[in-house]
Amino acid sequence: MIPAAWICLFLPLAGALAITLLGTAVSRRTSALIATTSVAAAFAASVVSFVEMLSRSTFDRAQTSVGWDWLTAGNLDFQLSIYIDQLAVYMMLIVAGVGALIVAYSIGYMDAVDEERRFFAYMCFFVFSMLLLVEGGNLLMLLAAWGLVGLSSYLLIGFEHERPAAIAAAKKAFIVNAVGDATFALALFLLVQKTGTLDYTAVFADVPDLSSTVLTLVALGLLGGAVAKSAQLPLHTWLPDAMEGPTPVSALIHAATMVVAGVYLIFRTAPIFEGAPHVQDTAAVLGALTLVVAGLVAVVQTDIKRVIAYSTMSQIGYMFLAVGIGAYATGMFHLLTHSFFKALLFLAAGILIHAFAGEQDMRRMGGLKHLMPFTYTAFLVGALALAGIPPFSGFFSKDPILANALADGTFGYVLFGLAACGVFLTGLYAFRMIFLVFGGEPSEDVRSRYHPHGGKEGPFSMRAVVFVLAVLAAIAGFLQFAPFWTPVDDFLNPVQEPLVDPTNRMEAAASFISVGLGLTGIFVAWLVYSAKRYNPPHAWGVLRHKFYFDELYDAVFCRPAIAFAKALYALVEGPIVGGSLTGIAGGTRQLGGWVRSLQTGVVRMYVLGVAAGFAVLVLVFVAVR
Amino acid sequence: MSMGWITDTLILLPMGAAVALWILPWPRVAAALIAVGVSLAEMAVWIYGLTQFDFAKAGSAPQFQDHATWFGDLGISYDVGFLGIGLWLAGLTVVVQAAAIVYAVRAGRDRPRAYFGLMLFLTGAIVGVFAAQDLLLFYVFWEAMLIPLYLLVGVWGGAGRQRATLLFFIYTMAGSLLMLASIIVLGISEGTFDLTELRTSGTSTWVFLGFVAAFAVKAPLFPFHGWLADAYREAPAEVAGVLSGVVSKAAAYGFLFIAIVIFPGPAADFRVPILALAAIGLVYGSLLAFRAPDVRGVIAYSSLAQLGLILLGVFATNLSAWNGALLQMVNHGLISATLFMLAGIVELRTGTGSLDRLGGMARGRPILATILITTGVIALAVPGSTAFAGEFLILNGVFTTGWGWAVVGAIAIVLAAMYMLRLISAVLHRRGGSAVSDEQRDLRPVELALLVPLVACLLFLSAWPAAITSHSFGQNPSNAGLANLLGRYE
Repeated sequence: MIPAAWICLFLPLAGALAITLLGTAVSRRTSALIATTSVAAAFAASVVSFVEMLSRSTFDRAQTSVGWDWLTAGNLDFQLSIYIDQLAVYMMLIVAGVGALIVAYSIGYMDAVDEERRFFAYMCFFVFSMLLLVEGGNLLMLLAAWGLVGLSSYLLIGFEHERPAAIAAAKKAFIVNAVGDATFALALFLLVQKTGTLDYTAVFADVPDLSSTVLTLVALGLLGGAVAKSAQLPLHTWLPDAMEGPTPVSALIHAATMVVAGVYLIFRTAPIFEGAPHVQDTAAVLGALTLVVAGLVAVVQTDIKRVIAYSTMSQIGYMFLAVGIGAYATGMFHLLTHSFFKALLFLAAGILIHAFAGEQDMRRMGGLKHLMPFTYTAFLVGALALAGIPPFSGFFSKDPILANALADGTFGYVLFGLAACGVFLTGLYAFRMIFLVFGGEPSEDVRSRYHPHGGKEGPFSMRAVVFVLAVLAAIAGFLQFAPFWTPVDDFLNPVQEPLVDPTNRMEAAASFISVGLGLTGIFVAWLVYSAKRYNPPHAWGVLRHKFYFDELYDAVFCRPAIAFAKALYALVEGPIVGGSLTGIAGGTRQLGGWVRSLQTGVVRMYVLGVAAGFAVLVLVFVAVR
Repeated sequence: MSMGWITDTLILLPMGAAVALWILPWPRVAAALIAVGVSLAEMAVWIYGLTQFDFAKAGSAPQFQDHATWFGDLGISYDVGFLGIGLWLAGLTVVVQAAAIVYAVRAGRDRPRAYFGLMLFLTGAIVGVFAAQDLLLFYVFWEAMLIPLYLLVGVWGGAGRQRATLLFFIYTMAGSLLMLASIIVLGISEGTFDLTELRTSGTSTWVFLGFVAAFAVKAPLFPFHGWLADAYREAPAEVAGVLSGVVSKAAAYGFLFIAIVIFPGPAADFRVPILALAAIGLVYGSLLAFRAPDVRGVIAYSSLAQLGLILLGVFATNLSAWNGALLQMVNHGLISATLFMLAGIVELRTGTGSLDRLGGMARGRPILATILITTGVIALAVPGSTAFAGEFLILNGVFTTGWGWAVVGAIAIVLAAMYMLRLISAVLHRRGGSAVSDEQRDLRPVELALLVPLVACLLFLSAWPAAITSHSFGQNPSNAGLANLLGRYE
């Protein structure tokens, strides 16, 4: 299990290095194949790890393996180590599995794109970073990987480096995430000071000895990192802009894997969060607020990728809610199904964007059901799974989150209420998208811009991957049907036992309410956008402006920082630091001028000076004695 | 086994070669060849030294020591050797100098005999600063390091070189003279100039401040950086790289190895004010780098910020921060040298460093883009890089001193991302700027030959930063060495 995990970790890095160093010595197609093979092999290795783990007894599944001493100082020793337990293997399977699918999809999507090799090198590097994130054996490795996935995200968002919008979005993503990195690092400094280590097992063993203030501060710092990486309120502003990246990037990094890292972090460090219950509650509240806010904004977006991006924020909100109330395995199951149906939606949208030469505005689409039946079917499966309609996968993973909220007392009822609103909004925005893009008859304009790929809707690699994901999104839910069979919960619970335990009645109530609200949302979308019984209401400014977060941050942070830097130049650097020397030089010259004026050459004056000086000295001596 | 020849060679070989270059009538090509050959030989000797060094004792007594009495009556001697920290910084020196000399060959400097002689002399002098075990000898090497720099900036610099040299000269001279006075007072009063014997012997605040003046100017520590922007902008690119990459480390080394080790009492008294200046410099430099209008301005002010970070680590006075500071000295040396030479390479092609006129250079120049992005993201201390490792240890150490310092450092993490990504994008991204045209080529082989080793060192250290941190202050902190001085600051 351990050797396979190491192999799984380093194969994608080897792929990235190979593509970088080979450069133009190999064809573009070869570099794409290197990438796909290395990530697919990593997936095979993670499967080997998983199978080997299953052969061990339930409580003997966590293992640590040390590579080398990464960073040392005095008594501190931070190792490059991997910690493989059920959670790590579960994430490895998702990251490498979905990663392999999406890299394979990119073969077709990036075919005619310039600098294709660079894209595949970055993708491999991302998969390596993400695997390090889930396999790393201590919090320093986690933070290192936290930064490396952020770096890959930056590189891939800004892949089309000649478009100013892409570069601006890339920088924004990196800088917002740097805020999270900074709070994360501060949490680690406090932990090191109090425990002297960052190894998971050692830190968790020390948690009972730590004061609640320390635990609260550490948990807050970690939550800052989680919120930034997972695009939750209030550090979510980078994710919609990140849609400037190529669509496979959006699917892999900004839907299936990297953005759910915050959920992983809270689960992984659950002992710390459970020692700081208010912070854990905060995570749940932020998740619940995000899922509603993002759902509302998604309803008025016109760019198809941005709708899906806000939907991602919203769905991660559900996962935060779940791990925030201590329903860890439930949150992780939603993470799994979400990675399937959200990757499916993005990749299906990618086929569409590919066929329409980059068009992403839903107002310029319509009637595509007739032109692209395959994509339509795939999209429909994804949307039904997203809206939580049985028997599609979202139903099986989202409803237990609502049931767990019900089991968490009064606080849980509030969360349940918000989550239920979110379900309605999900149905609404998902099917608004379906009806706007696929409903009706295609106009002449749409027909004229549609460019099928050799008679097909898209290249083979793209269609094949979308097909696989559609099947997974449709049936993966049957992996677990709480409370009847719960293999995922049983597998993951030994990592950290859940804090809530919903009754069968709660499960049933949550399912009925949620399916009902989801169907209502779909019905409203049908009334407005398909049957057109009602005109779409005028979108409120507050929604179109995404609750003014960007404007607020611009006014509070960006402009003052720039103004402050300019003021430093004008008021400190120029006149004081730079001017001081000019001042000294001027002063010296002036002093020299005065002294020169004494050099009159008149001997009488000199004698007078000597006499006066002598007199002063005499007076001083007399006075001092 | 004394192995003193390693230290002697590292110092005297380049100095001797410099004298030979100056007095003998070599042809132009030979001057360059000799300089490159000597700098490669230096690297080989240093690597051999690395294999022979006993790192378990790295923090206690100097190794590879050589000793010769100079002025016996005054207790002054030629006494050289390396502690762990000196060995690493000497390594940084020979690596960066080799790259700088190759860069100069590629850029084609006028009067090559004089130029390469000065560069070689500079190499020996800087290594001497890190190797000197006698305080007066330290001063001799310190001045021997500054004089070639005045000439290199003043003769081979850009259009504004005269003002830049004058500022640099006045600032550093003022600092150096104060240091000389302090050295004489300290040496006479203690009756020795031997650095090991002088450890913890200093008690006078004024003598301490004399040393601080010299180091604060050279680092520079805010607000003694008035010379920095001009010098880094006007110097030839490779000299700017050496100035900010290596020479600034001599100051940080002086702070640690002289100001703190000899003067534990005054250093403890002045710890908070110096930490405050370092923290201000960190934020101030980052903000100015974020608004700087040209490539070199960004790197120059980011150097001010990075030296602030390193000095935070030095004056945090615990083992985590010291290890971090040493690691960060090496990191910043490599990063800054690489970035300045990249700036020079861009200037050679476009004729300008102004960010307004650059842009779009990634198109068709994948190697330049790869190297600039790699160095840039390491410079902004992306988690997982060696600069991150150094920064983590420094801030972790300074957190124990006072959590507020670490919060300032955390803010600087965000600011570093802002200025470095701005630099990367302004040079590489968007459409081509007005000074950029398609004929400007990607990196040439000779440029790759000088940049790749520097970047490879950074990548190697990113995979294994403990290569330095577990081989610097000795394995056992309790043995008689630098580390047990730290007890005085608890």
